[in-house]
Amino acid sequence: MAFYEQHIHPKPTTFLSKYIFSFDHKMIARQFIWYGILGLGLGGMMAMLIRWTLSNPGVPFPVLGNLFFPMSGGVVPPDSYAMLFTMHGTIMIFYAITPLLIGAFGNFCIPLMIGARDMAFPAMNMLSFWLAVLSAIILVASLFVPLGAAASGWTAYPTLSTLIGSPGVGQTLWAIAIFVLGISSTMGAINYITTVITLRAPGMGYFDMPLTVWGLWLTAILNAIFLPVLGAGGLLLVFDRVFGTQFFLAGAAATNGTGDPVLFQHVFWIFGHPEVYILILPAWGMVSDILSFFSRKPAFGAKATALAMTSITILSTLVYGHHMYTTQMSPLLTQTFMTLTMTISIPSAIFFANWLGTLWRGSIRFTSPMVFSMGVVFVFGLGGLTGLYLGTVTTDLYLHDTYFVVGHFHYTMAASVLLGSFAAIYFWFPKMFGKMLCEKLALTHFWITFLGLNGVFMGMMMVGYGGMHRRIYNPFIYEYLEKLIPLNALITTAALLMGIGQIPFLINLVSTLFFKKEMAPDNPWEVGTLEWTIPTPAPHYNFKNIPVVKCGPHEFGNPNLTTGRDFQYQTEELVKG
Amino acid sequence: MNTLEVKNNIQYSGEGEKLAASIAMIVVLVSFSMLFASLFLAYFYYRITEPVWPPMGMERLNLFVPTMSTTFIILSSISLFGFNHYFKEANQLKMKLTLALTIGPALAFMGSQLFLWESFKNIGLYASSGIFPSIIYSFTWIHVAHIVAAIFSLLWLVPISLKSEHTFKDENVVLNVGKFWHFLSIIWLIIYFSIFVF
Ligand SMILES: [Cu+2]
Repeated sequence: MAFYEQHIHPKPTTFLSKYIFSFDHKMIARQFIWYGILGLGLGGMMAMLIRWTLSNPGVPFPVLGNLFFPMSGGVVPPDSYAMLFTMHGTIMIFYAITPLLIGAFGNFCIPLMIGARDMAFPAMNMLSFWLAVLSAIILVASLFVPLGAAASGWTAYPTLSTLIGSPGVGQTLWAIAIFVLGISSTMGAINYITTVITLRAPGMGYFDMPLTVWGLWLTAILNAIFLPVLGAGGLLLVFDRVFGTQFFLAGAAATNGTGDPVLFQHVFWIFGHPEVYILILPAWGMVSDILSFFSRKPAFGAKATALAMTSITILSTLVYGHHMYTTQMSPLLTQTFMTLTMTISIPSAIFFANWLGTLWRGSIRFTSPMVFSMGVVFVFGLGGLTGLYLGTVTTDLYLHDTYFVVGHFHYTMAASVLLGSFAAIYFWFPKMFGKMLCEKLALTHFWITFLGLNGVFMGMMMVGYGGMHRRIYNPFIYEYLEKLIPLNALITTAALLMGIGQIPFLINLVSTLFFKKEMAPDNPWEVGTLEWTIPTPAPHYNFKNIPVVKCGPHEFGNPNLTTGRDFQYQTEELVKG
Repeated sequence: MNTLEVKNNIQYSGEGEKLAASIAMIVVLVSFSMLFASLFLAYFYYRITEPVWPPMGMERLNLFVPTMSTTFIILSSISLFGFNHYFKEANQLKMKLTLALTIGPALAFMGSQLFLWESFKNIGLYASSGIFPSIIYSFTWIHVAHIVAAIFSLLWLVPISLKSEHTFKDENVVLNVGKFWHFLSIIWLIIYFSIFVF
């Protein structure tokens, strides 16, 4: 399959070439992991400030409040609140989940799982990481400019995001940061797509690829197609703000023919809906694999899962209008978008049933990657089902812009993607860093996070159903929301719990990396995909000889196996009776 | 040092590498197409929602300078086809000639765009004067930004045209730089016909 064989390049020797400007996909993956964990910490901190404000308005944030908001005595002021939820969303989506799942695991898994020595274009890979760093610097800098950071929500709708709504330079920096990150991710996508097509090991057809690679590959395709759409929207927004063009200004603000704020919504959601799948597809792929690995049986309907993911990828390009039902869209269009949206349920149900089919009667090993993956199955089920009410015009008109939406999208693209990232970290950590993370701490981490996030997001859907609007600063001043105050307090408690639940994870990371002496075995999970056929940690050239693939990635529990193992490597001929 | 090593690693020594580079180039062009497609979507959206076009108080633009730009870029694209042809024949003299006929008009195109903006300013048409000039300025800015990058990549062909022996790597460069340049010509033609002519 491989179109050509990559040469083994000499081992990097200097500190700079090994750790900073590394061309090695595994080192770039590790760089992205730290980048993503930093992003999670920053975005998570912002979430804590948001939740604190919602349940204790006017009360200073404990301990750190005075550090962040000395002017107001530690209380989050209303304008900073808007910046907080804007930056929380932006950081979590673009600077935490994207670098973790796509940057880190895309880089780490694709070459190793398809039997390649590196990405097709290692230099572009490095450039992609450093552009992402540049973008993060621009975004963080925007927190410190006069009038503060962007405050128009992660969707940056005009006119909130034009000079009329956000006069400061923060919103401009936001748009530039997203544009630069878009270039970085597009470069990554070009690399991933080309690598999967041209560098699969001999014998590896598309359906012999692990589903992880399928998910990452489809994500890369969506990225390459739709990030430029966001890029165009962002560019026009920057032009409006800097050069005085009038794309998104309407009415009196514009002269000689008017612009239109709603156009930005179209452009944003043409990108924005696929973005949801950009985030979730890698997690779906990893979960499909991990469920099979630890149920010790072949992935149920693996081909159907891959095809279902592909059809979701295609359908995801046609449904963006369901975010815009309340913009006076023609009923003919809303119903078309509704029907197309509902169609996505069919492939979703197929692979969801396949997940359950994989678990059914498996000899399940409840390791940390496995419990996190089962957590994904649970929260994604809830998130998917609540999406039906938002995709339906009649119910969406009432639920639009309430906390129900916030709860729903956190279930799909925060909770399930976050649990998926953790599953991936626990699963590939030994191959990445050479040491096993502590299982006990990992399970503690899982249960606190899992209970916490369900408390938060289930609570959000309930207050939303009760009528609480999103982006509200102080729910206490509205009479009709008074009965929801205790529920809001409960959500905040659950959020703090979830925040505290990350401490065992950090302890686990630090103690394993810096204090644990014992090295991990080459194949600690007893799995047959290609990355487990090489030594731990992976040598810089990955494979001494390019492997020849002879069977699929999920060959478990074959009764004809005589090797004493219950699995076989992808490099072994399928054992037949 | 490291750079050298890796460059060595991805030396284009065979058909496989060539194919990989073309696949990557196709993805790049798909990405750029989506960028421009979004811009044109915006344009058509404004155009159909506006009761008259150009909007009230605006006049149709003089076609002289844009037509000059079109002539330059078509000339340049045709010469680049010629360059590609003579590259395959390894005809060094004609390669140099066609490359000069590619880069010359390319620079003239750049100049004509600068002249275009200047002529707008002279008649008091600024980016902030309404949605019509907003579109014209933004689209030409974004296109020219790509043209600048493309001219630098055309300069990459100069050392190739001076050599008599060519490697797979050279063939790759010629092929992919060509694709990028022709792509930008096509985008200009769409801008020319959809925004200036009709
Ligand atoms: Cu959507």
